[in-house]
Amino acid sequence: MSGNEAFELVSERGWSRGWSNMLRSGLARWFNTRTWWVQCLIWGGLVGGLVAAVALAPDSPPALDLLMLFTVFAGLFPAVGVVIIMQDALVGEKREGTAAWVLSKPVTRFAFVLSKVVANSVGVIATMVIVPGLVGYAVMYFTKHFTVNPLSFLLALGVIFISHFYFLSLTLMLGTFFNSRGPVIGIPLAILFLQQNLIGMLPALRFVLPWTLIFPLGNNSSPVTSLMLGMPVQSENLTTLAIIAAESIIFVLVALWRFNREEF
Amino acid sequence: MNQTPQNVIETRGLSKSYKDLQALKSLDLKVRHNSIFGFLGPNGAGKTTTIKLLLGLTRPTAGSASVFGMDSVTHSVDIRARTGYLPQDPRFYEYMTARQILRFTAEFFFKGPKTALRDRVDEMLDLVDLVDKADRPIKTFSGGERQRLGIAQAQVNYPDLLILDEPAASLDPLGRRDVLEVMSKLRKYATIFYSTHILDDVQRVSDTVVILNKGELVAQGPIEELLAGSEGVIYIIHLKGAADQALPQVQSLPWVSAVKASQHNDETVWQVSVSDPLAAEAQLLKFLVNGPVTVTEFRRKQYELEDVFLQVIEGGQNVGK
Repeated sequence: MSGNEAFELVSERGWSRGWSNMLRSGLARWFNTRTWWVQCLIWGGLVGGLVAAVALAPDSPPALDLLMLFTVFAGLFPAVGVVIIMQDALVGEKREGTAAWVLSKPVTRFAFVLSKVVANSVGVIATMVIVPGLVGYAVMYFTKHFTVNPLSFLLALGVIFISHFYFLSLTLMLGTFFNSRGPVIGIPLAILFLQQNLIGMLPALRFVLPWTLIFPLGNNSSPVTSLMLGMPVQSENLTTLAIIAAESIIFVLVALWRFNREEF
Repeated sequence: MNQTPQNVIETRGLSKSYKDLQALKSLDLKVRHNSIFGFLGPNGAGKTTTIKLLLGLTRPTAGSASVFGMDSVTHSVDIRARTGYLPQDPRFYEYMTARQILRFTAEFFFKGPKTALRDRVDEMLDLVDLVDKADRPIKTFSGGERQRLGIAQAQVNYPDLLILDEPAASLDPLGRRDVLEVMSKLRKYATIFYSTHILDDVQRVSDTVVILNKGELVAQGPIEELLAGSEGVIYIIHLKGAADQALPQVQSLPWVSAVKASQHNDETVWQVSVSDPLAAEAQLLKFLVNGPVTVTEFRRKQYELEDVFLQVIEGGQNVGK
């Protein structure tokens, strides 16, 4: 290239070519636009508002029940947002033609997909896990004087993120197989809302669906509640946690494999 | 600097099919270094498919393509590192501004210094006359503005090869003229491979032309060669007077291979095909002037690219292959 002597050339090679630029752009999409505060407002407002509504009701439940409700709200509702945002990450870009444009630059498909995973995970952690978590905690503190160990609280939020990451990676993977938004949104939302029924029909599914990470099953506490209360996580829950994490990684690997075969 | 082989692009039997559709049939192309290569064909001829194959956005079903001597499947990222590409219908992130798009594009190639990046972005905005719209989000841009931004982003990395898919499609005549001027200036530094349906543009700036039809190459060659036509030399002669009497005499000349006569207002028009252009040039007009007719117009037929294009597309002829 003549004329580029004044520049320092990008040194990334192999799979990482284009990775840092894609990641920077993905993070900028979250944090240099109104996306971050809109998401904070929606999920902080929804989770905090619901917890406050229950806490301030005349026959409000005790702090422990309020904590369980908080984990359910924080674990269930933002997952809907994760699915909606992630369907746009690949299907939206394929349909709008921006994926073809970006991939005409020196960027690998691996870097393209991985940047979507990392940038969106950071966005989800910040706006759909930490902010609603802090808002919910603040409501519980001011209404019920409820306090937990900060480290335990962060670990509990980490489990909520693993549940969200399951839906993030599942939606991303489906986006590599389909070109229309319907199945990419519909399948994860169906799993999200029907998993309790599915586990009811086939109990073994409790190990492969993220429901029990958030919701207590029978007399067992969910791992989120256990961590917040400083109790040991039951071994069955740890197994589920490991399986869900492994499934999520498999979804990402399948997405990488499938997107590499995509034609534009 | 990277070494560039004499042929920047070379394809061998390049083919692509989608289910039942054969989009490209065994294409053999050679694009020379620093040429402006016009890629012509009606809609659905396979032009965009070829471009996508060259960039590694899609894979061939048979044959191969190399760009800068590198295989388009195994080295597509390295090829794209030296290429600028304008898609037929440029789509950018709608939430970004023109300046952000150019910066984002430049950062796939350069990591700094920041001042040089900023200057290059400003230079490109100026080149395509988008300085006053540089900080507006893309979603507010018209089709022509998007096209101009597309041209800017394709050049931001000082490409050795510029691939433009219908670069002037959404532009007004002034915009088209500017694009052609930019292309002419860039040929010093880059090879330009562009598809278009605007034949006049091709004739003005290209030095080599390929015509594709239904996925097949139907004509290829230097523009002068294609414009010379495949019908040989033809003289157009407008006559008044006893053209019927003169016709057999002209047909009997040894170097006249055919005469097509038609009537235009009160004149007879002949298209005289000749096998010996030098003899025709020296003798044909003299012969007619001495005969029973008055010659009102006498000229050698000049082909326009449009004639060649229509001839090969409608007639299914292969020219210059």
